[in-house]
Amino acid sequence: MIARRLQYELMSHALGPAMVAYQTWSDERRRSRRAAKESPFGPQLECTRKLKELMTRHYLAGRYADGAVPVAWVTSGFPVEFLRALGFFCVYPENHAALCSVQRKSAELSEVVEKEGYSRDLCSYARSDIGCALSLKTPVGRLPKPDLLACCTNICQTVLYWYRALAEHFRVPLVLLDTPFVYGSASPHQIQYVRDQLGEAVETAERISGRKLSGERMQRTAELALEGANLWGQCLEQGRHSPSPWTGFDGFFHMAPIVSLRGSEETNDYYRLLLAELQDRVSRGISGIREERHRLVWDNLPVWFKVRDISTSLAQRGFNLVCTSYTNAWAEAGKRMDPQDPLGSAARVYTHIILNQDLNNRMEVLRRLATEYRADGAILHSDRSCKPYSMGQVDLREKLASELGIKVLLLEADHADPRAYSSEQGETRLAAFMESFA
Amino acid sequence: MRTTYLQSQKDRGRRVLAVLPIYFPRPLLTALDVVAAELWGPPGPPRGPAAARVQTYVCAVARNALAFLSSGGADVADGVLFPHTCDSIQGLATIAKDLGGWKKRSFTLLHPKGPSRQSARTYLLAELRGLARELGEWTGRSLEPKRLSEAIELHAEIDSLRAELLTRRARLALSDRALYQLLRRGEFLWPEDHLAELRDARKSLNGQKVQTGVPLMATGYVPEPGSLFEVLEQAGAFIAADDYAAIGRRLPTREVVRHSDPFETLVDGWFALPPCPTRSADHASRLDHLERLLERSGARGVLIHQQKFCEPELFDVPAIRKMLTERKTPLLYLEGELERELSGQAVTRIEAFAEMLSTQGRAA
Repeated sequence: MIARRLQYELMSHALGPAMVAYQTWSDERRRSRRAAKESPFGPQLECTRKLKELMTRHYLAGRYADGAVPVAWVTSGFPVEFLRALGFFCVYPENHAALCSVQRKSAELSEVVEKEGYSRDLCSYARSDIGCALSLKTPVGRLPKPDLLACCTNICQTVLYWYRALAEHFRVPLVLLDTPFVYGSASPHQIQYVRDQLGEAVETAERISGRKLSGERMQRTAELALEGANLWGQCLEQGRHSPSPWTGFDGFFHMAPIVSLRGSEETNDYYRLLLAELQDRVSRGISGIREERHRLVWDNLPVWFKVRDISTSLAQRGFNLVCTSYTNAWAEAGKRMDPQDPLGSAARVYTHIILNQDLNNRMEVLRRLATEYRADGAILHSDRSCKPYSMGQVDLREKLASELGIKVLLLEADHADPRAYSSEQGETRLAAFMESFA
Repeated sequence: MRTTYLQSQKDRGRRVLAVLPIYFPRPLLTALDVVAAELWGPPGPPRGPAAARVQTYVCAVARNALAFLSSGGADVADGVLFPHTCDSIQGLATIAKDLGGWKKRSFTLLHPKGPSRQSARTYLLAELRGLARELGEWTGRSLEPKRLSEAIELHAEIDSLRAELLTRRARLALSDRALYQLLRRGEFLWPEDHLAELRDARKSLNGQKVQTGVPLMATGYVPEPGSLFEVLEQAGAFIAADDYAAIGRRLPTREVVRHSDPFETLVDGWFALPPCPTRSADHASRLDHLERLLERSGARGVLIHQQKFCEPELFDVPAIRKMLTERKTPLLYLEGELERELSGQAVTRIEAFAEMLSTQGRAA
């Protein structure tokens, strides 16, 4: 245990950062030797290197976390603040699944679980992660074995079945935070239910970590999470400038710390840097794409395995994704956080996640984003793997087009599984959509 | 037929509430003179202008229900209740209500997920009281605790008879088709009418076994299409144990504790139901329940009968497969999309499965 802890600390605070710094330096050297290619994008964000360092350090430390500190695997919408305050190392299977998709590993990992009888119609994130648990194959080297699984149904109920399968596999406790869906506004008894479950979850986490939750640490973590959400929100708001200093596709990647590391100093330090850089780019008129002629809103998760292709197609024709309902979700939630009442406010915050609210609210969010970011078009990603995000988009398309007078494309794809996406059809639809602006 | 019957109930002063699957407090509706008309699709391809409003990768129950509600198919109903069963029905509730498809009153029941923990029991109690209040305002009737207690007893008797017909299936002189038609009539009949039919069917119970085919267990969401039972019968098999969400999973597995507050009794009844993935049962209790059903019924094979894209059910399939493989119990996996009839391929697979089991039985 002591040796493992020493190994973990060394990797987290000394060796890991040094290895990452060396990797960054060597990547930079390689890049500087390559001839610059013609690109439809603006100059790369300097912070991208920092982002890579931050996330690589996180996954590197994770390799040595189990046995050294308590480890929890958590859903992106779980109130992670109390776990952090209790010293848990948190792994986000959704973030990991996105990484698998970007690195073209999802199909291979899915096949592992499909052989076990899991249907291909199930969420591709779930298939990738269960596949990783069963095969131990992962692009990050190794994921630490969890001591606790923490799942919140505010993003979907799929996570419940997914985490139950993981709990069976790892034979560890599963903490469930069941958040009633919000039609209009949540009733007091619904919020109380979530608050009560948080109390039950804290007890389980305390038992596993062998620590008592300190009020002071909890408050500090909530303060950091609130500050992080606000900083992230300010970063996103830079996209309101014309031209936007970055693209929504950049946002998909730069959201990783607010999802996976929220409630930590390093996350907030990172977003302060990113915000400063974005503000600097705004002041110097630097755009996320070379020539911004049209501004788009994106709804739903990205098509991780096609981000490069889709963003390039759009940028080549002067289309910039200036905001997305997905990245915005992590900024919205922060507004309700109250560090003076961390668990009570967490119950409210985490119940009011965009995916846990009705379509009137979703339409309102899209309407507001399109207006505030002065978008003249929208792409609604009809995501085969994410039914809660995708149901209703057929109607939302009509409403956005008729109410705001913008052009809207419903793009059929999947967030992680390339086998569920037809490139030719997708590109044709995207091309036809862009031509309609002429 | 359903519409005519429901209209006749309205003529008697009752309200009709269309109800989406699966779990809802029937006694509460009965006590308020509300007839529940369950909406499991209906089967067949979605029809009408709203047929394409839900993507094809969403389960047919939700897709068909929106098309049906939007096209006026359920207009005999005065309102609709959306229980919080899965992401698709939850999504359907907000589409129909917020984006068009259902103009009359809609209700939701956001029931808890997971085990019987204190937070879930307290919450469910509040949620049921809230629903009762809303339904009371809607019907203009006040809910008397005595009436609710009587309705609980009425439904307990119905459940007990339904359970008896299913557990003593081998001694029941009814075809699977006739039995399932009877059980599914409970999805829209006024409880007293359904009770009368069940009592009548009980007379067909014999002292000894009358079903001579291969006993099977069926697990899945909803037994559609009904022709499945004819195919099974012709192939020499019958359903000896039922774990359909629409049928067997709605019958309590233990005696429900009666409390002085009938709402507390409803809460206990909720947690007395068999394990179901849509209520987030853990695998251990689900598999344990299925094994008990297998042993009690003597089923020699299992039909896993799923609806395509039904995530809660599909996530349990690998664990069920593993358990059956370890027990060396043969299984047939059948997947559909609420078709009106089985495909020729499915018929052949069922026939081959039944034949294989009957050959094994003879060899043993």
